Amino acid sequence: MLHNPATPPAKTRPPFASFEKSQNRYGWFFASFALLLLGLFMLYPIISSLYMSTISSRGVIQTFVGFGNYLKLLNDPVFLQALQNTFIFFLIQVPIMLLLALVIASLLNDKSLRFRGVFRTGIFLPAVTSLVAYSLLFKMMFSADGFINHGLMALHLIAAPIPWLTEPFWARITVMIAMTWRWTGYNMIFYLSGLQNIPDDLYESAEIDGAGRLQQFRHITVPMLKPILLFTAIMSTIGTLQLFDEPMNFSAMGVSAATIGPGNSLLTMSVYIYNLCFKFMPNFGYASTVAYAIVFLVAVFSVIQFRLAGDKK
Amino acid sequence: MKKLFAMLVTVCMAVSLLACSGAAAMGAAKKSGKITIWAWDPNFNIAVMKEAKARYQKNNPNVQIEIVEMAKADVEQKLHTVLASGVKEGLPDIVLIEDYNAQKYLQAYPGAFDDLTKKINHKNFASYKNKLMTVNGKIYGVPFDSGVSALFYRTDYLAKAGYKPSDLNNLTWDKFIEIGKKVKAATGKDAYTFDPADGGLIRIMLQSAGLWYFDKNGKPYIANNPALKEAFATYKKLMESGMIKKTTGWNEWVSAFNKGEAASIITGCWIIGSIKAEKSQSGKWAALPTPRMNLKASVNYSNLGGSSWYITQGSSNKAVAEDFLKSTFAADKDFYQKILVGQGAIGTYLPAQNGPSYTVADEFFGGQKVFSDFSAWMKKIPGINYGVYTYEADTALMTVMPEYLAGKLTVEAALKKAEDQLKNQINL
Repeated sequence: MLHNPATPPAKTRPPFASFEKSQNRYGWFFASFALLLLGLFMLYPIISSLYMSTISSRGVIQTFVGFGNYLKLLNDPVFLQALQNTFIFFLIQVPIMLLLALVIASLLNDKSLRFRGVFRTGIFLPAVTSLVAYSLLFKMMFSADGFINHGLMALHLIAAPIPWLTEPFWARITVMIAMTWRWTGYNMIFYLSGLQNIPDDLYESAEIDGAGRLQQFRHITVPMLKPILLFTAIMSTIGTLQLFDEPMNFSAMGVSAATIGPGNSLLTMSVYIYNLCFKFMPNFGYASTVAYAIVFLVAVFSVIQFRLAGDKK
Repeated sequence: MKKLFAMLVTVCMAVSLLACSGAAAMGAAKKSGKITIWAWDPNFNIAVMKEAKARYQKNNPNVQIEIVEMAKADVEQKLHTVLASGVKEGLPDIVLIEDYNAQKYLQAYPGAFDDLTKKINHKNFASYKNKLMTVNGKIYGVPFDSGVSALFYRTDYLAKAGYKPSDLNNLTWDKFIEIGKKVKAATGKDAYTFDPADGGLIRIMLQSAGLWYFDKNGKPYIANNPALKEAFATYKKLMESGMIKKTTGWNEWVSAFNKGEAASIITGCWIIGSIKAEKSQSGKWAALPTPRMNLKASVNYSNLGGSSWYITQGSSNKAVAEDFLKSTFAADKDFYQKILVGQGAIGTYLPAQNGPSYTVADEFFGGQKVFSDFSAWMKKIPGINYGVYTYEADTALMTVMPEYLAGKLTVEAALKKAEDQLKNQINL
């Protein structure tokens, strides 16, 4: 039962009771469509895929295995490699990107800076490009005789072309560079909007107290932005754990190439799900298990980040 | 008299009308209806299918044929999704399936494809093609193109290094590398180009020795597979030879040889269309049998890829679909001549291989009769059963490859690791 906190004291209830009831009835009626759709397209798939994760399948041939898939997951070298790859991206790329976004945001928040709008737009622009288009563009730029290698060689920074996409180490670096390019501006926008809410007098009084720019950044900007920082950190965690487009497009697309990046160095959990459904012997049950592993990891990391941020609520 | 004449005319007309309707009735006994076909590659499979469609419709004007072009990955993805969901609608009547994946589809979705054992005379097709579409003695598809592999090379680059085509006869991989290094020194161009993330090269080497990732019983055969050991060693020699242009993905690879940056490629004959796309290089290319490994069993003939046509069991026009494939891909010799010249499609329909087009001298390949060469080599390809898990094995092997190449793993340890990964992967 919905309860309206604004309902007047009991004395006046009789004349209002029927109204309240009917209001609830209409409320439920209108909400029912949304609830039905929500149940059909959100709740049902969630429960159905949970059930599917207890099944091992070869196409349409299904066997119930209970927790078998989850046990298999823990000993699956391919999954563990995907997990490891994902964590390499998560632990290196996400902090770099968020720090960079924060620094750029506070620089662009300076009111004395001219053409702020142009810079902001320029840095945000990558976030609205098509994922596939930008991946392919980066792949071209970073190919053995692409723009990047030519440029670096012309500047005499390197003697031989860097094997950007044909060595596991460099392949990961390339993806990290691409992701940083694509997502830094996106995070910067959140920080910029957060910065607008920090009162100027805080900075003014800090300046009077003799705090330098760096100190102001550390002791005012960062603490005041904490909720936003937490939000971007969680969003980036989810995004990284679900990473799909970049690895898929940087390798020769899932189906034709044997591995995702050299030595499967770019294989992520989401790409593994794709492979399990469409490239390997289709095992939709096991693919759901991997999907649930991602859900579990996202939940765990969100909780950890909430704790680290000291958010008691 | 007038009346009689009028009656006569009426009778005549009636008779002719009846005759007409009789003919119409007979026409209806002919095939009619609509069939849908899914395939990929507009320059190859789709173009070939369009030719088949035109030929079939000449005799069966009432049959509508819709050819739907999709990327290969999309065809596979859609097929898996619809078949797994169990829905009867949404599938095409005829679909193209890559040979490596044939067993996967046939075994994962029993009853989803039409049994063609008695409907098509499979004796007319290359036996290795029939083998890979057979489950429990039943043959499920109509074989299409061969993936007979070849060494395509630039004769002009080779001449610069002082080699004649005859120096490449009966080639081994070691000799190939030796020649390649000299070509690189003489021309400054890389001798060979390929994508290191692609397992195709290993598959070519393996099949040339008549072995595969799996033994006859379908069990993983990796750790102690002598051909695989040799293939890994050969692969390492190649990678360390300093004469290779490494590319990522199909487009980069094709542009590497189209731009003349590499002297050779080793792949399936279906690449001819892409080689010929660069018209300025006409007359500069030639084709030879693939190199063989230092193994007694290894021959100079192998295969890469290839695909075949399958009819879905749920097709509402199965009879038409069967008739269509039967009267084009399994009967029409002339059709094969046409697609050979047009698309370079080497069909595996044996009676067509005595046709005139096969002996045409191709100016692009310096007057070489490439097609008669290919069909001769095709017959010498060791037949093997690809089994169900080719791509799983491919992934496992190419995953350990960088560690093996970097010297972190011996060949034995690398193969052991790959086998463990594969076993874990396919264990249900």
